[in-house]
Formats: sequence, C-alpha cells, structure tokens
Amino acid sequence: MAITNLPKTPKIHRIPQPKFIDAIRWLSSPSPFQKSFITSLYDSDFHTPSLEIHSLDPSKTLTTALFSWTPPSRISSLKSTPSLFAASTFLGSLHIFKTPEEMSVLGNDMSDLGEEGVSVLVLEKMGGLIWLMRGEILGGFLMGNGLVSYSAVKWASPSEFVTGGCGFGLQWWDLRKSGAAVAQFKGNWDHGTTSGIIHSIDIHPSRKHTCLAGGSSGTVFAWDLRRQQEPIILSSIGSSDTMTHPLSESEVWEVQYDCYTKSLNSNISSSQILPAMICSEDGILAVIGQGEEPTELLAEPCAINSFDIDCQNPSDVICSLEWESIVILSRP
Amino acid sequence: MPDVAADSSASASGGALVPFVPDTEIAVVYPLHHGLKPPITRVSISWARGNNLRVSLLRNPPYNSDSDGEIGGKVVEVNLDSGAADVREPVQWRRIAYGSVTPFALLQSRKNSASSLSKLQSSPSPFHLDWWEHVMEYSKDIKELLGNPKSNYDPLIEDPKEVLKKGEEPTSLKAAWELMEMFYADKLCQSWLPERLVDWLADYDCLLSGDQPTVHSKLVEFQGTLVTLQVIEDDPKYWEVISSALAIGWLEIVVKLLRLHGSYQLDQLGHRETENGLVETVAVLISMMPRFRPELKNGKLGECFEAKPDFMKAWEKWREQITKLDSSAFWVPCHHRQTREGLKNLIQIMLGNTKILCTATAHWIELYISHFLFIRPFTAGLEGMYNLAQKCVQMKPMSSPHKLLRLIIGIIGENTEVVLAECSRGFGPWMVAHAIELLTARSDQADILLHKEHDDIGGISMEELHRLVYAQVLTSHFLTWQIAPVYLTSCMKQGMSLLEFLLYRQPAQHNQLLLKNLEICRLYELDHVSSNIMKIAGVYHWKHGRKGLGVFWLQQARDEFLLNKIARHLFDSVGKSISSESFKQWEGLIELLGSESKPAGSLEFLHKYRDFKKSLQQACDKKTLDAARHAADSLMSLMKNPSTPQRFWLPLLYDSLTLLTWPGRPLLNVSQTNLLLNKLQELSMASMRPGFVATDLPAEALNSVRLALATNLGRAILEEQ
Repeated sequence: MAITNLPKTPKIHRIPQPKFIDAIRWLSSPSPFQKSFITSLYDSDFHTPSLEIHSLDPSKTLTTALFSWTPPSRISSLKSTPSLFAASTFLGSLHIFKTPEEMSVLGNDMSDLGEEGVSVLVLEKMGGLIWLMRGEILGGFLMGNGLVSYSAVKWASPSEFVTGGCGFGLQWWDLRKSGAAVAQFKGNWDHGTTSGIIHSIDIHPSRKHTCLAGGSSGTVFAWDLRRQQEPIILSSIGSSDTMTHPLSESEVWEVQYDCYTKSLNSNISSSQILPAMICSEDGILAVIGQGEEPTELLAEPCAINSFDIDCQNPSDVICSLEWESIVILSRP
Repeated sequence: MPDVAADSSASASGGALVPFVPDTEIAVVYPLHHGLKPPITRVSISWARGNNLRVSLLRNPPYNSDSDGEIGGKVVEVNLDSGAADVREPVQWRRIAYGSVTPFALLQSRKNSASSLSKLQSSPSPFHLDWWEHVMEYSKDIKELLGNPKSNYDPLIEDPKEVLKKGEEPTSLKAAWELMEMFYADKLCQSWLPERLVDWLADYDCLLSGDQPTVHSKLVEFQGTLVTLQVIEDDPKYWEVISSALAIGWLEIVVKLLRLHGSYQLDQLGHRETENGLVETVAVLISMMPRFRPELKNGKLGECFEAKPDFMKAWEKWREQITKLDSSAFWVPCHHRQTREGLKNLIQIMLGNTKILCTATAHWIELYISHFLFIRPFTAGLEGMYNLAQKCVQMKPMSSPHKLLRLIIGIIGENTEVVLAECSRGFGPWMVAHAIELLTARSDQADILLHKEHDDIGGISMEELHRLVYAQVLTSHFLTWQIAPVYLTSCMKQGMSLLEFLLYRQPAQHNQLLLKNLEICRLYELDHVSSNIMKIAGVYHWKHGRKGLGVFWLQQARDEFLLNKIARHLFDSVGKSISSESFKQWEGLIELLGSESKPAGSLEFLHKYRDFKKSLQQACDKKTLDAARHAADSLMSLMKNPSTPQRFWLPLLYDSLTLLTWPGRPLLNVSQTNLLLNKLQELSMASMRPGFVATDLPAEALNSVRLALATNLGRAILEEQ
C-alpha cells in the first residue's frame, strides 16, 4: 500500500560527462529560465581536477562551461549559498568564490557555509574545526582532544553548529561556549560488521532544534535537542517499528530537507519531522517522511554520490552518479 | 593498428600530391600534460597498471631552496590505446562498460533462475524454450549502447541531388555485434538470413572502405561530383555507380539516380520520349523486385514474399518481364548510346550475369550479397552460404581482409574458435565477454565448447576465461574497477578469489572509497574480506595519527588482538602516573572506543580504568571521604573483573596507595582487603613462571603495596570489631 506524494513521475534528464563528478550544487541565477550549477570534476585520464559552472537552458542541454578553474587537488567538499560558493580540496586548501571571481584561499578539508555573511566552518582531518569570517580565522576548536575525526558539519544558527562522526555520534557546539560540546548524542545501535559514520547533516532554518543526519547502513534519523536521547529514526536496517523494509541498506551519502514534498499528515506539530530527500550508494534517490512510505524518485544501477535541491525552484533536483553522469529531475 | 593507417591514408590521398602509405605502423603521439617548467633533466618510463605507461619527469634541483616555489618533478600516467575496435575514446569505452553491466547482470540472473528451474523439473535442456528471447532482449540493450540505428537511406530527402544521406558514423563494434546477433541469437531471421545480410551491408558497407574502394565509397565520390555534372547520363561514372548500387540491392538509390537522368527534364522530354520510357521502365522494374523476406523497412523498395512458392512465382514473373524488356524493339530508337548500354547492363545485373556482377562490386562480400539477390535467392543453411562465400572470396581475393569480413567467414564456417579469436583480436575483451552470451544462445555445440573445463588454464572454461580477462581490463581503471565484481562473481571457479584479491588491493586512505569497497563486500557476503579491509584501514589511520578513526575501524573489524595492543599501549603511556595532560588525551580516545554495552576485552578494562583514574584524581583533589570511597569501589570492581589483565594488577594497586593508606578510616573492608592480598599473592606466584612481563615500577612497589594492604587489613579488622 504505497501512498505516493507524486502522482506523476518526474521528468528525468541524463547528461553524461566525460569526467568523474565529485560534487554538484545548484547556483542561484537571476533568470528563471536560465539555470546554472557548479560541479567539481576529476579527469581520470589526465589526473586533473576542475571546477566548472554550466548553465542549463529549458531544453536541458548543457552549454560549454561558463567558468572553469583548476584547483590544486581534488575537491573534497563543495557548498553554495545564493551569493557565493566554497570548495575545499584534499590537499587542504579552501577556496571561496563570489561568482565567478576567486575571493580567498585558505587551508582545509570539509566546509559548511553559514547562512548569514561569509562564515565558514572547516573540518580538519585531525579533528580540528576552524571558524572563518570574511577570510579571517575567527576561532578554532580542537574537538575530542584532537583524536576524533568528524565527517560532517552544519551551521544551526550564526553561533551554533552540529558535527557528526563515527558511531552515529552527533555533537552540538556553541561558539559562545568554547571547550566542550553543548549537547552530545551517542548512537548506540550497531549492526555488527557495518560501519556507523554520519555522512551528511541538515538543519531546517525554521526548526533549529532538530537536526537531520544520514549515514551508514541506510540510516537516516533526526535528533531533537529537546529530547536528546530519543532519536527519531526515519530509515534504518535495525528498526522495524517505523517501516516494513528499509529504503536502502548502504551508505546514505547526503540528506536534505525537501520543502517541495508536502507531508501527508495535516497536523504538523513542531515535533513532526519534515520530509527529507536522501541519496545512497545503492543508487536510490528518495523522499522520506516520518511515518510515511518513502517515495523513490530514482533507482540507478550505480551509486548516487551527491544531490542538490534548487532553493529557488525546489521541484528541480540535480544529482551526480558514480558512472560519470549528471541527472536532472524536474518534479511535476 | 590497421584503422589508424587506413583512415589517414584515405584522407591523405585526398589532399597530398603523392599518397604515401607507410608499410609499418604509424607512430602515435600521446600528449603529456605535466605542467612543469621547461628545463626537465631526467625522464624515466615504467609500466603502470593496465595499459598505462608511467612517466617520471624530474627538473634540476633549484640552487637556492626558495627559488621559484616550483615542484621538482612529476609522475604522470599515459594511457596507451586500448587496442580494441574503433572506439578510441576512453570516455566512450567507459560508457559502454557502464551501460553493459545492467543487461549482463539481468541475463545472468535469468540464466541462474532458469537453470535452477530446469534442475527442479529435471528436463534435459538447461534453458527454457524461449531462452533466445531473453538473449535478444539483452542484445537489444547492448546494441542501443553501441550507437543509434543509422538512417542513411532516408527516402524523404529534400535535396534531389543528395543520393547518400550522411548519418552517424557507424562503428565496426556495432556491426560485429549485429552479425553475432543475427546468426546466433535471432531466431526470427533464420529463414531469411541472406536478406538480413543485405540489410547489414547497407548499414555497414562504409566501414569496409579502408584499403579498397567499396560501393559506398564510390557513391560518396560520385556524390561529390554530382553537382558539377551538366549532362549526367553522358558520364560513364553515373552508370557505373548505378550498376554497383543495384548489385548490392540499394534499390532506392538506384531509382533515385535513374530519375536524375536528363530525359526526365521537361525541355527534353519531347524528343527523348523512348529513352525516357526505357529508363522509367527499368526504374519501375527495379522498384518491383520481389524479395524473399517478411517485411521491408519503411521507404525501402521491393515486394516482400514470406512463403517460398509465392516468392518463386513472383520471381519468375519478374524475370520474365525483364527478359521481355531486354528483347523489346524499343532499344532501336534509343539513340543515346550510354543510356542504352547502361540500362542493358542493369538488366544483365537483374538477370544475374555473374561476370557483370563481379565487375560492379568491389569486395567479395558485395559480390556475395549480389549473389543472394540476383542468382541464388534461396540459399539456405550455413553450409550453402559458406560454399558460396568461398566462391566469392576466390573471385575477389583480398590481401588483408577487414576484421568484419574475417568474422563473417568464421561465423558462416561454423567455427566457434575462429569467431572467438576474431572477436578478441578485432574488438577486444569487452566484445568477447559479452558476445559469448549470443554464441551460446542456440547452439549446443558452442555451448559445450565454451563451458568445457580446460585443465591447462586452471580448470576454468573458455567462457570464464574471457570474463576474467574483461574483468582484468575493468580493474585496471580506477573508475571501472567497481563494476568488475559483477563479472567476477559470474565466474564460478576463480571469480571469487580474484574478487577478494581486487578488494584487498584498493587503497584504504579515502573514507568514501573504503565505504564503497565495504559495500561491495556486503553485496557479495564477503564478511571476512570486509573485516580484513577494516583492519587495514584501522591500522592505516592509526599510523597516520588519526587515532580515533583507527580505533573506530579496528572496532568495526572486531580486531581484539590489535585493540588489546592499543589498550596496552595506552596503558603503558599513562599507567605509571596520573598526569592530567596525557590523561585527557586518552580519555577522549576511550570515549571514542564506544559504548560500555559492548564488551571488547581489554577495552572494557580501559573504560573501567578510565573511571577509576577519574575518581582517584577526584579523591586526591577533594580529599573527601565520598570521593575516596567511590575510587575504592572502582578499584574493587577493576580487581574483581576477570577482564583486567594480570600485568595491570600491581600498577593499579600502586596507583591507589593513597586509598589504601587513607587517613581517618580504612576504605576497604576485611574481605576486600583479603581479595586484594590474594591477588598480590597470585601475582608473586606468576612472576616465577616464564613469560611473565615485569612492569617497570620501582622495585619496592610490591613491598609497599603489600605493606599498605597489611596495614589496611589491620585497620579494617579493628573497624569491624
């Protein structure tokens, strides 16, 4: 008894690329007919990384790159906001662009852009975290005494952020209270041989007390600061109470709140988790909601490594596939 | 590389004054992108994995260290030509490799379920009766991947002078695939194979025009001069091209060319009426040619007959009409010599004059096709086809036959080994690995041959061998190695062990790659491999200073041995004394070591030890009785716990000397003290045995602990009385 939120199937455009796509993001554009996106690519034949902006006309054909830049090494993380985008590399440099010219270059590994101004969070491999604003280092944390590696980070408010790492652990930090995390969640469900790493975190701007996390073994859960020890599991192998079978059993690479899908439950309280979109290693792009059957948007034979929902027109989703291609979905 | 030579010679003969075709292979230039500043002093070359050359480039070391900030050298890899077919771009190859995974996997799973079903029913044939339909579905998917169907001879052409429509350049890979499909898999076209070959040649004749002209290349050449010709029918080339096209059955082109004849022009129609009548009659006769086939594609000329008697009747009637025209009186008033001779020539072709057919065609395959069309339309059975092919090859011998032609000979000669060899030689491992499915679709003989296990290649079958070869090619590229498991797991004998080998070989430093690796292990239920990979990753991260991640992976792998080692290492680094700095360091690590709910040998001990150290610290700081009591409880639980290693007993007790000699009142009661004394006794006994690891505590440690315990016992006895 699948209840689908989308009666019509989305339009799917596949654009094969000659290079491997490390990450992909929409860019905001002034015209509704001209959409553009940024991709970080890796040419396997010449071992050269590149960062390219392409624009997309209504017929979904790709133009030649509007902007192309060669980073010093492969891109590890790519984020964008309406006014700028940032890319971090595996060599440890961070590049912030104000479309399209380069703004500043700093060092590090994984980043998240703040909503207001240019405050950037950068995660280091060794467990450090640096907070930057307008190219200046404003603060630094050494979390977990420099022993712990974090794999995801997200701003919750201009002064708070959440990190995620191994063992499904989440930490809530406040810049005003340095030292230790303000709140901590230790996931204690474990599936034997599968790993438990959080790959992506999202926080809805209107519900800053809840953070959504996705990671290994198809696990997607929400952590409410007000009920810290009761995570709300949206999808997981181990849980049988929420759904009959898990959506995916492999790594969930990215999670994002999907403001396009309306929840079926009419009485949305503030504790109800909003619908979220996920992409996974086993090639599934789907929307899941609390207590609802998930809606599968795409089932590919290869992994979907990243996706992005267009914030101007949330019906459009762009995702990058393991087999060197980009897929653009236009939902009806 | 025959193709490179062929292409360049074809283009060279167009522009160069003296066409020069070297006998040896043309040198291929591979561009190197190294991005180093010019003075490169040393270059060294070695093989990298797969078909890659690794080139190391070194610059002169700068004289002053902070000269230009340039890197001193670079190692680049150059991908040499994959040597397969005419798909030269690696990107295109990868696309084909990606796209063929799903059809291949689907077919394999169908095969497995079909064979398990037939085992249940104990039927003699391993496959369903309609197995070939599954293979056709598979073949269709693969064909789609190799390129879009070519629409070269579209009848709705705007330009009346455009005879050949330029479509997408077909690949010989697709041509070869279609050949394999029509002969081995497609059951429906078995009754009209000759006509099927006519269609095939229409699509792929252009591929054969490498070293020798073909009808297609003649047409292309003529197309170029067509615009400049004033009186088309005076040109002998015109008639030559028409007869060639007719000989291989390109009827639409023939009719179209005939209608370009000058007598159709309005101003000439008056005085060339007879001539025009003759041209038109021939054109009509050509367009009415009976074809022994179920259907024709839209826009193709001819009349189809599926039943043999109907076709015979029509064929006889058609020939009769041609003979009648040949002997008609209208030829006399036709004054235009070229038209008369040209038309007569066409009539001879239609009547099946071998000599004229032979001059009209270029390759033996074209002559072969013309035989099917005009001399022996009823050729059936591979033996008959093979004999005819032999005859045509003798009439038109070739010095170096095209790989497609070699493949055709192998197929109609019913020689599976030759077919496999030609596929592998001409089209590469992808083709062989995938075309084997077609080969075994209907032929039991090929099935037996391909599945027979050969002792000289490690007891594997030919089918498995070719799959393994293809998987090897896939693993040589870091973007395609992930699809190699699909092929490896379809290999019964050696596949799994090679898959394990492949998985172990993947680098462990990138977390994402590692997780993708583990996912493959999960899919194929290789739990022991995944735990080994996690161990490797754990050790890697630990060695590179990311202790947290290292411990995490070791824990995932449940590697008790290494975890215990780490725990011991941790203990050694902080066990001697309580230094708050280092304590904090490993406290974080123990925090990471996970939840207490999962006992993990000495890790559990370390957790307890951490708690103990903490409470001991508090007891020392606060000097309150409660804190001290708490610390004493921790000590007791540690000492009672069987997971506490013996070698830590003494350091633990030595650390807690403050507790044992707590001022005011004893913290441990009689039984507790007795237990500790017993442990101490056990320890002294153990120290006599070989293999005992002595701690590097001061020599008087044992004695001072014993003394403290004895004192405590005395105090406790007094307290309890």
